[in-house]
Amino acid sequence: MLPRRVYQFLIIYALGLSLLLIIKYALNLSNYVIPGPLEIWETCREVTRRYLSDVMDTMSVAIIGQVLSICMAGFIGIVGRQTTWLGSFVKVAAYNVQAYPIVALAPIIFILLGDGFLSRLLIAAMICYFPLLLSVLGIMSEPVSDIEHFYRMTGRMRWQLEVKIRAFENIGKLTTVIAGSATLAMAGTIVAEFIAANAGIGYSIRIALYQSDLGKILVALFLIGISLSVYQGLLEWLGMAVRKAWESK
Amino acid sequence: MQLECRNISFRYPGADADVFDDLTFQMSGPGFNALFGPSGVGKTSIARMLTGDLDNFSGHLRARGIDRILYSYNLERLPGWSAIGKHLARISTPDRQAKKEQLVDLFGMTPFLGARFSQLSLGQKNRINLIRYLLQDFHMLIMDESLANVDELTREKIILHMKALFPDKFFVYISHNIIEVSKFCREILVLAGPGNKRPATIVHGQDQHLGQPLEKQHLETTMLEIMNAA
Repeated sequence: MLPRRVYQFLIIYALGLSLLLIIKYALNLSNYVIPGPLEIWETCREVTRRYLSDVMDTMSVAIIGQVLSICMAGFIGIVGRQTTWLGSFVKVAAYNVQAYPIVALAPIIFILLGDGFLSRLLIAAMICYFPLLLSVLGIMSEPVSDIEHFYRMTGRMRWQLEVKIRAFENIGKLTTVIAGSATLAMAGTIVAEFIAANAGIGYSIRIALYQSDLGKILVALFLIGISLSVYQGLLEWLGMAVRKAWESK
Repeated sequence: MQLECRNISFRYPGADADVFDDLTFQMSGPGFNALFGPSGVGKTSIARMLTGDLDNFSGHLRARGIDRILYSYNLERLPGWSAIGKHLARISTPDRQAKKEQLVDLFGMTPFLGARFSQLSLGQKNRINLIRYLLQDFHMLIMDESLANVDELTREKIILHMKALFPDKFFVYISHNIIEVSKFCREILVLAGPGNKRPATIVHGQDQHLGQPLEKQHLETTMLEIMNAA
């Protein structure tokens, strides 16, 4: 699972890079617009160590933001699964709020909290939270009738059991959603760094953008992609391990 | 124990036709009674009315001497996070442990207690599901195709022993097997398909018990009556 994700990324990255080089040579573009393979390699040697540290910085913020989102989405999803007025209110509120582009609120957060760690964390968590919440709400609101029937009939159903049944039956979906939300958390953090932060790979890409240095941007994209593929692969592996452990109890 | 339905009329929201129009019947327990009829005539709807899942019908439904009604059906599943033996232990009270062991043995499920539900065959799944219902506190148990996919001999053994082990319970057996309902049930409510003048008829079955010989001629007469009524 882990190597598969990495291979997939490497193939897509190689295709993208090849396309850029084909455009460069087809249109006879200068190294200033699209650097050649040698220039890219040189840039890679020059910035990889610094960029890797930036990616790890961004990733740590994204992971903390994602964990916060998972906890919040889990809690709200469990409350919102109910057919009570509170459940309906939570669902309607979630559907409406997620329709708004949350990233547009980022400047307000920077104005209120400054350009430090907390702003990046909050934006990462917000961007990752709503899609995650909608998926968790959908999964938790859907009864697994053929299992739940017995417990309802005999008066044994408790909310903990209901949540356990629905989570167990949808563990594959939950794992996919959580792995997918890692991309959102990473995107959220990078967007925050683009806008105003003074650290992380998004900040480094912003500087490379001001310098019109495509080589640096390509190296940054490579490191982001590899790190994210490894992290998502680990999340999927963890999901499978949880399921296996649950099933073999 | 008596189940009485008077002038029941019901139509599913958005449907063009009534499921029941002025349905009236009476059944008495304890013992095995049946609901029989082609698919779509409303057998499961009656079951859902009895359990209170359907309440937007007109008419009167009265269950005398029956407080606790359970409804089991053949597509139910047990959660997959532990073995079926553990599930049975969790849902049966300590005073029913002996009964649990007896039922597991009678239903031929002892070798599978360590298995997960998903590892069982369809017939085994239905048997284990029925066992967990029999271990609950109930006056009436509605069995909606609850023994589907179980072979005929095992099914006969299970039904006859259920009658012996639960003589004070009211069972409503929903099945499409005409021989089975004729053989084992006392009162059979035959719900007619479209075009039949009488929407519902009660036919008296053989109500065979453990060790009791089968009267073949009576059985054939019952089956003929059911076929005429359906």
